[in-house]
Amino acid sequence: MRFSERNSSSPRSVLNHISFSYNPNMHLPEWTKLAGILLVLIGFALRLKPTLVVVAAALLTGLLAHLPLFTTHGSSEGIINMLGRAFAANRLMTLFIITLPAVALSERFGLQRQAAHLIQKFRAATPAALLILYQLFRVAMGALGLRLNGHPTFVRPLIYPMTKAAAESQTNDGLAASAASNLPSSAIEKLKSAAAAAENYGNFYGQNLSPVQPGILLVFTTLNTLGYNVSVWRLVLYALPIATLSITLGAAQFWLLNRRLMKENARLQ
Amino acid sequence: MILPDILLESVYVLTGLLLFIFAALTLKDPNHPHPKSTATFWLILGIIFIAGTYLPHAITGVLVLIMVAIDGAGKVKPTTPPPRAKEESASTGGGVEADSSPPISAIASNKTTILSYAHRQPPNQTQSILGNKIFLPVLTIPTITILFALTFRILKQDVTTGALIGLGFGGLSAMLVALALTKGSLTHLLNDGRHLNECMGAVNILPQLLASLGIIFTAAGIGTLIANAVTHFVPHHLFLLIIANCLGMTLFTMVMGNSFAAFPVIAAGVLIPLIVKPFNVDPAIAAIITLTAGSSGTLITPMAANFNIVPAALLELKNPYAVLKFQLPYALILWPMHVIVMWALIQL
Repeated sequence: MRFSERNSSSPRSVLNHISFSYNPNMHLPEWTKLAGILLVLIGFALRLKPTLVVVAAALLTGLLAHLPLFTTHGSSEGIINMLGRAFAANRLMTLFIITLPAVALSERFGLQRQAAHLIQKFRAATPAALLILYQLFRVAMGALGLRLNGHPTFVRPLIYPMTKAAAESQTNDGLAASAASNLPSSAIEKLKSAAAAAENYGNFYGQNLSPVQPGILLVFTTLNTLGYNVSVWRLVLYALPIATLSITLGAAQFWLLNRRLMKENARLQ
Repeated sequence: MILPDILLESVYVLTGLLLFIFAALTLKDPNHPHPKSTATFWLILGIIFIAGTYLPHAITGVLVLIMVAIDGAGKVKPTTPPPRAKEESASTGGGVEADSSPPISAIASNKTTILSYAHRQPPNQTQSILGNKIFLPVLTIPTITILFALTFRILKQDVTTGALIGLGFGGLSAMLVALALTKGSLTHLLNDGRHLNECMGAVNILPQLLASLGIIFTAAGIGTLIANAVTHFVPHHLFLLIIANCLGMTLFTMVMGNSFAAFPVIAAGVLIPLIVKPFNVDPAIAAIITLTAGSSGTLITPMAANFNIVPAALLELKNPYAVLKFQLPYALILWPMHVIVMWALIQL
């Protein structure tokens, strides 16, 4: 389940893996296995094809750890087998593709423009206010134990166009925005990033406020396996300080962004 | 199979069939630079979606390698010229009129309703001709997702599975609502979806690939390596150990792209043996704050592609790392707060 942060395999299976990590037949020092991580760092930094980089790192790490390419009789699980198993088990992360046709057709019929139009009626709707509200909404969803992937369902079709429209009417001094945007492209990039970040902030820190969410359950089962029995409600209680700080910090960042956009605009005019 | 599994499988099959349609539309697209290879890429993904549960893992693995090879050769591309006129880029006229890509007009030639409908939209229009009704399709998706999640909760089933099934049926219902509302054609709907998917590109499978990498890192014992390093170098001092614990969690989350994959390793390797046991600390405090320390890592790593890279593609950001860049100062400020809060709560 990747709506929220969650590993593909269950916590228990992760624990099981730890035990067979030590291979007595190893010739290379253990730290050479980190070469895969280095490959990812370099590959991503050079902006090589991410799919290629990741698969190359998987093969390299597996081979350095003396894992076989394919599972053979009596061997441990092969690298290609693991690749296939995890890829199939994580189809849920790509399920959002099924939402794309409806979003795309709605956009053809002016979805983003309508979202913008709606928000421009509210003078109080600044980009910062919208982003803060959205983060709070995602925290509330998390606390209610509800999870969904907000990037395709809320951010692209609704939150980003509304935020952008609010920024436009703010810089337009209340004049109705024309179809042409008066925002510089750097501002557009910032607003898009901020809308995506508001989703992540609200999702990550809000989900620990409900005892049925996978984060709390993961901590509960892991501690149980290690011999500690804790109440899920105590976990929720101690998640509160960081959740509060995450909201405050998000609000500050969005407010600062808003102020900078207005300053830049004032300088341009 | 029990009912939730059957429903989840059917959602995967639906998505797979949609990918087959995308592949067919790409293959027939006269303006596509690499119709065959791009279609093959999405076709294979469709096959894995439909048969992933039953295919032997080795075969799925080989199929994944073929997909990555096609993308590595630079053969997974969107159609040219970009057919989805973006509303933002419509500087003089409305987005609908600017959209005159040959494939769509060719398809739409016998669908005069939609074109005349669209052409009624005057230039410089700042709202949708459908008014607020245009929100119905996209609101259908979260509504149905939440309904399924709640139903599963009431029936004491796995809420996560419920939300996934809801997302699938929500997407399908939204397509039907959008069709009914716009009186558009099915081909239009599917082609628009295909274009959006192609514009996002092969990055869409990155989260699935990274999950595989995470499993291989775990099997290779990378986590134990990090945990051992912490054990080895940090003196027996509570505050320093809290820093090392949070740092280890954040670094390992950055490597795995996922705090949930990192947590059991750090808990077993660092948190319990070095903090909870020797200092007699409440495990509830230490554990949940360790978990969220990992989220700081998730916010700043490209390995968490589903949260940071795919959304950048979805929002058509020019810089694929723009979301990460925005989240960096936030994560850097929130991270030390974890150390302080954990230390303070332990002292209380």
